[in-house]
Amino acid sequence: MARGRPDPWTWAPSIMATNAQAPMFVRVMGLPVRLSLYVLLCLLLMTVDARFDVLHQVRAGLTAVLHPLQNQLARPFRYLQEAFEFFRVHGELLREVHRLQAERRELLLKLQDRELLQAENAHLRTLLDLDAPPGYRAIAVEIVQTLANPFARKVVVNRGSRHGVSPGWPVVDAYGLVGQVTRVYPFSSEVSLITSPEQDVPVQVLRNGLRLLVSGEGQDRLLQVRFLDMHADLQTGDILVTSGLDGHYPAGIPVARVLVTEPPRHSPFARALCLPLAGVGKQRQLVILQRMPDGIQAPEARP
Amino acid sequence: MNQDATLAPRGPQLVAPAGGRLVYGSLAVAFLLGLLPWPGQWRWLIPDFSFIVLLYWNIHAPHRAGLGLACGLGLLTDAARGVLFGLHGLVYVLAAFAALSVRRRLENFLPPGQALQLAPLFLAKELAVLLLGLAAGQTVIDWWTLAAGPMAALLWLPVCLLLHRLAGRPSAAPAAATQDK
Repeated sequence: MARGRPDPWTWAPSIMATNAQAPMFVRVMGLPVRLSLYVLLCLLLMTVDARFDVLHQVRAGLTAVLHPLQNQLARPFRYLQEAFEFFRVHGELLREVHRLQAERRELLLKLQDRELLQAENAHLRTLLDLDAPPGYRAIAVEIVQTLANPFARKVVVNRGSRHGVSPGWPVVDAYGLVGQVTRVYPFSSEVSLITSPEQDVPVQVLRNGLRLLVSGEGQDRLLQVRFLDMHADLQTGDILVTSGLDGHYPAGIPVARVLVTEPPRHSPFARALCLPLAGVGKQRQLVILQRMPDGIQAPEARP
Repeated sequence: MNQDATLAPRGPQLVAPAGGRLVYGSLAVAFLLGLLPWPGQWRWLIPDFSFIVLLYWNIHAPHRAGLGLACGLGLLTDAARGVLFGLHGLVYVLAAFAALSVRRRLENFLPPGQALQLAPLFLAKELAVLLLGLAAGQTVIDWWTLAAGPMAALLWLPVCLLLHRLAGRPSAAPAAATQDK
């Protein structure tokens, strides 16, 4: 723009464009004034959104429109992907069938053992008058979209408050814990993956019952135990399962396998890197665990 | 025919101001393009399509696309990306202000020249989003998303080509080049 000669298009936008007989003196706020007003508005919105929970309704309204739209947009691509998938999967399935048949034979052997143990376990439980593990119901969901959020790892799934989902519920797949429902909209909900940096999961080492916190690192294939006692009994290959102490996750869901433990170097704490057992970032079908009221699943056989 | 050509006044071709349907329609299409299910491992490389189109209209149709439109589009982007409300709004408004202040100069350049001059703005936009997130208390940041800035600058050329054609602009020569003859 030439200095000292204001540009009518930018400085008086609406009047020049629409009105045939434009007024000689334009009474419109200057560009810098408008800029500072909008900047102020945005800063205000950011502060309100960060500090208070007021804007959730606005966000829910917008996403109630956006997410179904997104779903429709994704549909042709999904069909295409499914067609390609069909041919790839066919070969894999054949191999899988052979592997599974072999595995089934092994499992049948183990099952006999397990049934014996289960009967014994039920007997011991009634003896000790322990509470039954709380009942959970599974809601099958599908990932609609991976959010382009550079700060956290989140996905959007296709079930929301209309289907009975609430924030805080655990999300799993066939191999272990995937994440937690953090925001719920009418027809969709946001799931924070356990690999998200701000997501911590209370776990227990399967081998010796040591309780730890596993946090995400922002990578799909890595989790970490941040503040590990340097004398803690944690070895490579240990399986970590949820401890169930937080009241959100049920106990015993596999979470991660320890890859390596690092001795303390720059901090007083050791650190352990773990591999998530669930297919975080790979699977499209997930399961939300809905906690049932205790009365429904409680065992009737109480002494 | 030949005679007409010699008698016709020589000068830059006048371009009708872009219609509202074209401006808002192209913005909507760009916004939907951003909502497509891009593969997760390449998500950091996908530029912000609606931002590119917004800058195009800021430069070529400022009477339609001003700061208010930038702010609204930014808030919509915030909702779609699930980040803090007002973060993209603020960045879009600042970028639109920058584009509006230099639009007279930019109009005299061909699309490659414009892309080169707008590249810092595209990069600054990605950087501003990340820094604002950092200021708002986010601790871990995916710095790879900065790569979307140069990608957006590269994408400026096809966007210009397409929108020039749709708006009925001569895409080959800018106004200044024909005036010089």
